[in-house]
Amino acid sequence: MAVQDSSPTTWGPREDMRLLNADVPRVDGPLKVSGRARYTHDIRLPGMLWGKILCCPYPVAKPTLDFDRAQAVPGVRVVLPIEDGLRDGWTRRLGTPIAAVAADTPEAADDALAALNARYEEGDWAVNYDQAVAPDAPKVHEEGNIRHLQVDGDEAAAQGELDGCDAVVEAIYTLPVQFHACLETHGVVVDYRGEDEATIYASTQGTFTIAADAAQILGLPQNKVTVLVEHMGGGFGAKFGLDVPGRIACLLAKEARAPVHLMLSRADEFHTAGNRSGSTQYMKAGANADGKLKGLVARIWKFGGVNRGANPGQPYIYDVPTSYAEAMSILTHTDGSRAMRAPGHPQASFAIESVVDELAASLGLDPLEFRKKNLASPVYHRQLDRAAKEIGWAAHPNKLGPPAELPDRAVGIGFGVATWGAGGRPTCEVDVRIDQDGSVTSSVGTQDLGTGTRTYVASIVAEELGLPVSAVEPRIGDSRLGASVASGGSVTTPSLAPAVKDAAHKAREALFAELAELLGSNPRNLRAKDGVVFDVEESDKRMNWKEACACLAPAGIEARGTFQRGLAGNGVHGAQAAKVEVDTVTGELRVLKMVCVQDIGLPLNRLATRSQMNGGVIQALSYGLFEERVIDPWLGLGLNNGFEEYRIAGTKDIPEIVSIIDDEDRRDQVLGVGEPVVIPGQSAIANALFNACGVRIRDLPLTRDKIINGLTAL
Amino acid sequence: MKSFELVMPKTLDEAIAALPESGQPTERVRVLAGGQDLLGEMKESLVTPERVVNLKTVPGIEGHEPTAEGGLRIGALTRLIDLERDEGLQGSHPMLVEAAAAVATPQIRSMGTLGGNLCQRPRCFYYRNPHSPCLKKGGTECFSYGGLNKYNAILGGGPSYIVHPSDVAPALVSYDAVFTLLGPAGEREVPADSFFTLPSSGEVTRENVLAANEIVTAVTLPAGREAWKATYLKVRERDSFDFALSAVALALKMNGDLIEQARLTLGGVAPKPWRCTSTEELLVGRKIDEETCRLAGEDALRMAEPLEQNGYKVPMTQGLIRRALQALAS
Ligand SMILES: Cc1cc2nc3c(=O)[nH]c(=O)nc-3n(C[C@H](O)[C@H](O)[C@H](O)COP(=O)(O)OP(=O)(O)OC[C@H]3O[C@@H](n4cnc5c(N)ncnc54)[C@H](O)[C@@H]3O)c2cc1C
Repeated sequence: MAVQDSSPTTWGPREDMRLLNADVPRVDGPLKVSGRARYTHDIRLPGMLWGKILCCPYPVAKPTLDFDRAQAVPGVRVVLPIEDGLRDGWTRRLGTPIAAVAADTPEAADDALAALNARYEEGDWAVNYDQAVAPDAPKVHEEGNIRHLQVDGDEAAAQGELDGCDAVVEAIYTLPVQFHACLETHGVVVDYRGEDEATIYASTQGTFTIAADAAQILGLPQNKVTVLVEHMGGGFGAKFGLDVPGRIACLLAKEARAPVHLMLSRADEFHTAGNRSGSTQYMKAGANADGKLKGLVARIWKFGGVNRGANPGQPYIYDVPTSYAEAMSILTHTDGSRAMRAPGHPQASFAIESVVDELAASLGLDPLEFRKKNLASPVYHRQLDRAAKEIGWAAHPNKLGPPAELPDRAVGIGFGVATWGAGGRPTCEVDVRIDQDGSVTSSVGTQDLGTGTRTYVASIVAEELGLPVSAVEPRIGDSRLGASVASGGSVTTPSLAPAVKDAAHKAREALFAELAELLGSNPRNLRAKDGVVFDVEESDKRMNWKEACACLAPAGIEARGTFQRGLAGNGVHGAQAAKVEVDTVTGELRVLKMVCVQDIGLPLNRLATRSQMNGGVIQALSYGLFEERVIDPWLGLGLNNGFEEYRIAGTKDIPEIVSIIDDEDRRDQVLGVGEPVVIPGQSAIANALFNACGVRIRDLPLTRDKIINGLTAL
Repeated sequence: MKSFELVMPKTLDEAIAALPESGQPTERVRVLAGGQDLLGEMKESLVTPERVVNLKTVPGIEGHEPTAEGGLRIGALTRLIDLERDEGLQGSHPMLVEAAAAVATPQIRSMGTLGGNLCQRPRCFYYRNPHSPCLKKGGTECFSYGGLNKYNAILGGGPSYIVHPSDVAPALVSYDAVFTLLGPAGEREVPADSFFTLPSSGEVTRENVLAANEIVTAVTLPAGREAWKATYLKVRERDSFDFALSAVALALKMNGDLIEQARLTLGGVAPKPWRCTSTEELLVGRKIDEETCRLAGEDALRMAEPLEQNGYKVPMTQGLIRRALQALAS
């Protein structure tokens, strides 16, 4: 039957919730830990070919390729030149795809790439700041390599304010380019056999961002292209749209009239699938002896390769009465930056949190109190206090910095705060179906990035219908299902969850309307709880779930939900604290403990929320301690193109993590949590390092060489 | 990866017979042990052998047994994880156990072998990048010298500045171990310290004296080392798994609280395990105190000539030497 009821205006009282605001294990957890979850990488189709790409290892080069030799390799079906990244035959960034092959086996595809026998004439390039701003620098963009100047505030006024301050800190903070490092590389499997339809299996953050471009390349109407995203192995902002591997796979499949599997190699993933832009920030900040920030002059350089890079600007979260900030992009012949988990925010955080810490130290003030003095929102105050309590700040002996005589193993504590929007927007369309046999399906095309989307697509409905999570089948990751947003900006949950709630609510109302007639009840008196539908006023009027559904017409109930603005919030904070130990004899830094306090309105699933928080803390720690793209500026080659040399944190590097959901946030709204939690971790660790041993490192990562050099220079 | 012939010998003689006739360096044949290094090199096309000789099919070259002289002979195919988990060794030769346990990850140690660890190739950025024609690969230039050299050598460098990657090698040098090499002409015994070569004294594309038609079959530790105190300490950029930024293998024979004999070998700082003979002499007759720690650190790094980005290895190594001495004092 069709449903036309009112939409919900509240998530309902938290006290009444069984599944929401509770720890619910992910419904796909068993599949994932047992290796049965099928990722795009795992797709095998009859007659499928293996696609591979050759990327130019140099930033600017003119490649020469032997296509005939590659074509002659046994098992090779298609060899294609890829020219859309070339200008007059020259590449303009490191990692430009220049050729692609499709073959019967991955080995034959590799052999074909080798048989291309690539030869490169090397050009002039600029891969770092010095090369990009040199007077005779080769141009990345016709208008020059210094671009997109933005100015905010009055420099003279800010400078004037600084002149009158009791303490001024002037320093440069640098952050390297970070890779998204998704464990599943970018790629697709295109199932096209020369007929009038195609299916694309995609590792993507947007089920609905792929079909249009794929259809165009394949020469099909868009409604003949289905996109499937059953499970995907991480995106972090780098996986929207058909993208380079998807476009090439479609070209290969079209040519071969056969399915093509094309996933990037790790080295190509690193140099042609995006990154977090690097950053250099000049900060001159001043404060008075009472601990109030007065003025700031900031100059921000963003290193986004051929793209602009990101930075939300300074003074970021802090209240500085008079500030001036200018930002510009320095273009280089390297892969373009993309959105990456809170684009620009970790960079801004590191510069401002460091300079704030340095000011507190130079005024001899408690860095925690100093922060609170310069953050207006009481939310930050309570979150910082909570983080301080969990990390053991009150009992910490060296609040104002390390003792004059350093111990062999010095312990320090540091802090940082975050901000993010994480709000929802209209788009999603969710269908909840109740069948005559009692089975319930909740469907929407959304992808699950590993965050728990699939689980709440079921659990919100289960909560509404008084059923266990396992009684609701979530169907997602299919472009034939209801529309959904792409997962960027932590918007998925606040956009999608209200629509799920709406659909569940409408399905329940429709069911109650049917049953009320049968039971002779007022539908408003009916409740669904613990698998039973009953009348709150007449206790003999009750049916178990199966009996109730058996009364439905053969078509069952189908309800469609849409976005409900009132159920989604906007704007989150967040505070983190780090405790570290520095071996002052060898320069080894170990993080002992991290605390993450985060407001997120109504936590749909506390377990998944804490898991997101843990993940954010780990990614920030990894950024702070290890991650850094290395390119040799003279040879132009990427030097850490795999997980051996591009270090990400492993089990032994990860400390005790205490993730605390800020339950004082009583908003009856859901918000996203993916991004705020990755923002301040590395800043807190750098501040903790200083607090432990007096070594202030202004360029990430906080590697042992810098620490021992810093200790030696003390 | 280039296709190759895989030889599965049943005996050491068959293995030797499958190697090139001449001992001259060649790309054509490689022996395979745990494959943890070799397969990576082959996938990156750093080596493209036509034939791979699998030593794992040869029985009898793993495990360890006492020698007639009271030493300990360890087969080259012994897995690192078996060294690490050996309770007897933990008591008698802790420095070897610590060094084996410091290698890579449990997964790699459960495949990687002692011989493979000693014969593994360097990890230098420029050697490992398939597109850089560096000196180690037969090119004309060591790019690390004027390039990115944070991880490169501060001692014994030139014309190549790689550091020897093995964790186990410095420990074996400090134990005065002897390697048994088998070739067409039979066995020869080479002291650990002479097995490894410097780029200035040996073939620049190799790190040791092993000929192309030889394999390492065993490592023998001399008698009496059970009575020494010894430790292997390593600093790495990332604790979960990483090669050494700097490492110290220190073995001391104590007489009361005086040092009677010492062996000090550094890892991660030179193209070979770096034996500090003068420091060993300096230590003899001294107590382990603040001054000894300082003097030993100064002496061991006296010859250091850091490149632009690796000066940090000097204080870091001195710190490790101090830590090792302190550890053995208690
Ligand atoms: C991610 C990663 C991290 C690592 N970290 C470390 C580390 O921290 N410390 C460390 O020391 N090593 C490290 N390694 C290097 C190395 O893989 C291991 O140490 C391992 O012990 C190598 O042994 P294998 O038996 O697998 O060698 P293989 O890969 O089989 O062989 C290595 C080389 O030695 C030759 N060879 C092998 N056995 C013999 C023999 N008996 N006689 C003559 N030649 C022989 C082979 O031809 C080949 O050239 C790491 C490797 C990886 C991939």
